[in-house]
Amino acid sequence: MPVLHDRAVRISPAAYWELLMNLTKREVKGRYSQSFFGIAWAIAQPLATMAVFTIVFSRLAKLPSEGAPYPIFAFAALVPWFFFMNSVSTGTMSLITYRNIVTKTYFPREIVPLAQVCSRLIDFAAAGGLYALLMMYYGVGLGVWALMSPLFFLLLVLFTVGFTLATSSVNVFYRDVNPVVQIALQLWLYLTPVAYPLATVPARFKWLFMLNPLSAIIEGFRAALVFNRPPDFSLTLLSTVLIAGLFAASFAAFKRMDKYFADVI
Amino acid sequence: MTPIAIQLDHVTKRYRAGRSRTIVDLISSRLDRLRGRTDEVHSASRGRVDATIHALRDVSFDVTQGAGVGVIGRNGAGKTTLLKLISRVTWPTRGAVRVAGHVVSLIELGAGFHPELTGRENVYLGGGLFGLTRREIDRQFDAIVHFADVERLIDTPMKRYSSGLYARLGFAVAIYSNPDIVLVDEVLSVGDAAFRRRALEALRRLIAEGKTVLFISHDMWNVRRLCTDILWMEDGAVRAYGPAAEMAEQYINEVNREALGNQSNALQSHRGGTGEVRYVSVDIVDDAGHTVLQIATGDTLMVRASYETSCPVARPVFQVAIIDVDTGVVIATASSSGAELPAHLDGRGVIECRFAGLPLRPRQYVLRLSITDSHQLASYDLITAGPRFAVISRGRGVDGLATSGDDEDGLVTLDYEFAHYGTVDVAAARANR
Repeated sequence: MPVLHDRAVRISPAAYWELLMNLTKREVKGRYSQSFFGIAWAIAQPLATMAVFTIVFSRLAKLPSEGAPYPIFAFAALVPWFFFMNSVSTGTMSLITYRNIVTKTYFPREIVPLAQVCSRLIDFAAAGGLYALLMMYYGVGLGVWALMSPLFFLLLVLFTVGFTLATSSVNVFYRDVNPVVQIALQLWLYLTPVAYPLATVPARFKWLFMLNPLSAIIEGFRAALVFNRPPDFSLTLLSTVLIAGLFAASFAAFKRMDKYFADVI
Repeated sequence: MTPIAIQLDHVTKRYRAGRSRTIVDLISSRLDRLRGRTDEVHSASRGRVDATIHALRDVSFDVTQGAGVGVIGRNGAGKTTLLKLISRVTWPTRGAVRVAGHVVSLIELGAGFHPELTGRENVYLGGGLFGLTRREIDRQFDAIVHFADVERLIDTPMKRYSSGLYARLGFAVAIYSNPDIVLVDEVLSVGDAAFRRRALEALRRLIAEGKTVLFISHDMWNVRRLCTDILWMEDGAVRAYGPAAEMAEQYINEVNREALGNQSNALQSHRGGTGEVRYVSVDIVDDAGHTVLQIATGDTLMVRASYETSCPVARPVFQVAIIDVDTGVVIATASSSGAELPAHLDGRGVIECRFAGLPLRPRQYVLRLSITDSHQLASYDLITAGPRFAVISRGRGVDGLATSGDDEDGLVTLDYEFAHYGTVDVAAARANR
């Protein structure tokens, strides 16, 4: 019997990109359609949290904000934090939510969690716009170190994608992952320098924060956009290595597991 | 030699049956492995051996390019698993699946659509799931919308669509996504008759264009009209694979045998009558005198029944009727006309009713038998649902569909021909108006 040369046509890069955009659009539309305020809800979440943090941590607990107005200090961290949290939170369940296409059509499966992350970019952009307004209100200007922010944005996206790929794929096989992730996200907020600066963390816990890539990302955003100062380069380098490793490992694992998604969903 | 489009090479697919594994199972099995115990022992020790379902066992076959292959078989025979493997929705446990070209699977019509999005947006979303770019969809857009007949609603969210419309658009997107191989899983049962006809026509056109189509259906009529070959699956293995006409004949024969096989209690149920005379056995016999369950159109059908009396009966009438379950009595006969019966019956005897040159079209029929008094008013015996038999079509495909252009349907077959006289020039008639 002659052996057929397999030509399962690979999806073209253009088609890949457009499918990702279409699924993103589907996600965003599904989330905000038929709601009066629509995309405004994306801003409400970090804004409300900022207000609570300002009252609790700044006014009551008197946490330092290294000289910057506390609302700005908190908001600069809350925007990337919520991007990460919301992406992971819905991304973890995404392959299950999209079971009808995962079990019935073939396409590169990572597009599903990727679309979840991409859909949060809209929220990120909206909240970023609000941040610009807050800066004007508090009279905080941008300096030359703001040019570092794209690097931290890239790290944030890579870390979020890497983490979501891992949780979403494992969750297909072991559904206990999702509740664990949801709880972990609640605690993670307080183990990341969002409400307080990294500098206030006691030295003996510092290693824990250094292993958390979100520390470097959030501190980096603050250094670039709030304080106009250079980021902590050694911390940033360490996190870059961690993020690259996580991304490579979880992407490889995802592609190994995705052949069996349809069997267990 | 025609190139191969799909190749399955010793493909086995297993699924885990029963309860899904949880994280606790994972941890405990890992712990056991650390202690040197194996997975199976562990599971068995808890009285829960992980059962696996063999969806496919060592399946190998080639499909040549441009073939229309009907996939038939009972539920659970592995038909859908086959399609999922070929479309890469899932992967084989062992063996290899190879395809030459772009595969589009219609396991469910419109599976990728989102109800909040409009028809237009969903065309792009669905097309994207089939690997198309925006520009490619742009080119096909009008044809898709036209085929699905949704011009009016194309900018309406799809949650307002009827299920038939939903399916139509899903089908249209799939077939216009420039596939080399199309996999269709019993999806044409949705939608109305007009859509089914158009969908089949579209699939037939694809085959004519040299595309390869795999078509799962329980509807032999559609399979025979569309397919050149038939792949018959049974219990996760290929039962038979070959030319459509031959396979369909085998399949129908087997279905009939199974459906008609167990008739041991046919005479017990639905029994009425006062009991002076009773049928003891009823057989359907062919020309050669063999008891049969199916008989070809045009052949001779003989109903041979033995009876027994419990007391002497004067001038009874034997009645034999052929019933079509859906439409009713096809023919009802009575022994009062013709057969030389003795004036008094006492003891045992055999009565035969012979239908020569059976003009029935392929279908399953039921016999109704009775024995009445001479006035045919009171029944001594009555079997309302007696033995069943199937009529098959000889030489024209067993299911009576067969050769192209055979559009007959109904109960009986008669010689007929069409004639046509005169012409009306429609264009000229319009112009005159």
